[in-house]
Amino acid sequence: MAETPLPMVELQGVSKSFARRLFVQNRSFALRGIDITIGRGEVVGILGESGSGKSTVANIVTCLTGYDGGIYRFKGRDIASFTRRERFAFKSDVQIVFQDPYGSLNPRATVRASVMESLLLHRRDLDKAGRMERADLLLEEVGIPASAGDRYPHEFSGGQRQRIAIARAIAVEPELLVCDEPLSSLDVSIQAQILELFVRMIRERALTIVFISHDVNVVRLICDRVYVMNQGAVVESGPARDVLSNPKNEYTARLLDAVY
Amino acid sequence: MTETLSSAAAPSSQSEAPLLEIRDAAVALKSGNRTMVSGVSLSVMPREVFGIVGESGSGKTLLTRTLLGLQDDAYVAAGSVRFDGRDIPAQGYAASARKLLGHSIGFVPQDPFSSLNPSMKIGKQITEAIHLAKGWPMGAEKTREAAIRLIGEVGIPEPALAFDQYPDQFSGGMRQRIVFAIALSQDPKLLVADEPTTALDAITQRRVIELILDRSRSHGLAVILISHNLELLRQSVGRIAVLYGGQLHTIVDAGDIGTRTVHPYAEALFACIPTREKELADIRSIPGEPVGAGFGLTGCAFSTRCAYAEPVCRSAPLPLNERLAPRFSACILGRGA
Repeated sequence: MAETPLPMVELQGVSKSFARRLFVQNRSFALRGIDITIGRGEVVGILGESGSGKSTVANIVTCLTGYDGGIYRFKGRDIASFTRRERFAFKSDVQIVFQDPYGSLNPRATVRASVMESLLLHRRDLDKAGRMERADLLLEEVGIPASAGDRYPHEFSGGQRQRIAIARAIAVEPELLVCDEPLSSLDVSIQAQILELFVRMIRERALTIVFISHDVNVVRLICDRVYVMNQGAVVESGPARDVLSNPKNEYTARLLDAVY
Repeated sequence: MTETLSSAAAPSSQSEAPLLEIRDAAVALKSGNRTMVSGVSLSVMPREVFGIVGESGSGKTLLTRTLLGLQDDAYVAAGSVRFDGRDIPAQGYAASARKLLGHSIGFVPQDPFSSLNPSMKIGKQITEAIHLAKGWPMGAEKTREAAIRLIGEVGIPEPALAFDQYPDQFSGGMRQRIVFAIALSQDPKLLVADEPTTALDAITQRRVIELILDRSRSHGLAVILISHNLELLRQSVGRIAVLYGGQLHTIVDAGDIGTRTVHPYAEALFACIPTREKELADIRSIPGEPVGAGFGLTGCAFSTRCAYAEPVCRSAPLPLNERLAPRFSACILGRGA
């Protein structure tokens, strides 16, 4: 993918610790000063086992959690110096799809209402009929019939809910989509369906995607570049195919050997 | 590795009697008598490493736990189970099965965080199992030695130290090794492991699986490995039974998956999985949603999603593996047979 001079996301020496405040030696570092760059139009994988800090990266990139040290620049601007207007725009520029499709949709809202809600905030140009039409279009695009829009999340299976979460995330046409283990809680045959949906979206929508995963094979197949994380640090990075077939780092090599 | 394993794990000679024979087994829930799993027939040979694969809701865990007498809310509604040359009586089945579980069958459940007693030292939990298996009294010192030897054999560093530690001082992988040690304390002929590595990291997962396979090779232990991960099984076991919607659909040689025509569901399930060798174009999802066990239809449960399905698949009874053939396809159209 072509790199524009200004990367979408730049993390420089970003660290995060969950401190027991008084005792420095008891600090557990979730991240120990990591550098991650994500160019426009790239699909970047963040690969790691549980506890590696990969989900903390997702939360920092989406501003769901803060960080202790380092700099996070979004489209060249330090997010610490965002104005109110920029902060509001950021919320529609960056969207996230979570691992658990059961917990991420409001159980008391119809799925169409869930998709329409973000349009209400970020697409002020649309009237109610326009929002509805767009929500139905998005549902159809991810494989949910528009006629099912009046139903509630509990009436859908896990795979369908994940489709709805994806429709909601892309509704505001985000520039960056962060996916935190979007396949992990799904059944094997449904994982493949959602994987196919991602592949289609990558091809058709020119999205910039951060794909957080523990699945080496999925990352190898859909990501342009990969950062391999272990114990809060990036241990290796590069083109996904190179890194995941010819690892230079000892940990990456051990991980690849272990994967079935 | 796969090749050597499959040849070692395949039934060696026709004359040898199977260790475990399950004939036309059905499992029903006690409340409402709803049949969840039916028509399961298979045999496992001594020393064989056998896999059972299924998606969630396929009935693999319910079937296993009920056959072992561990599932309180379900019962064996039909069929017979024969272990090591003896039938497990249908009357009082669960109690008889649980007796075997204490002696000839070891069980490793899925979650290493809830299967150990958190307030009891590791050593005590293992010596208790040894006492139960080998009788009381055996002598405290001798039992302690046996326990420490077992802790060492499952690859826990400094066994004598671990003996006096509590479960929460160990990681998930180490805890699963402790559970494994408890299962081995009875010197069982068969080990049943239900998703033993699902809660573990990839590196730890590989180590625990290798540990189980090593033990099988060195001690002639038969193993039934239950998993949702077809690729893990394909690389680890000799034969695989495939469950879907509470039905046994096929028993297939692990080496045939991905290389020969096998049962349509086994084929489709394998096509879903990204493996090391596959490219994006090799991955094909299965349309639709999985049907759960107890789906209550006649015919083949997979027919609603099968690429080859014909009208007959929805109405004809599913073929049963009545002769306990080592390889079997229940496909109504005869695919993979």
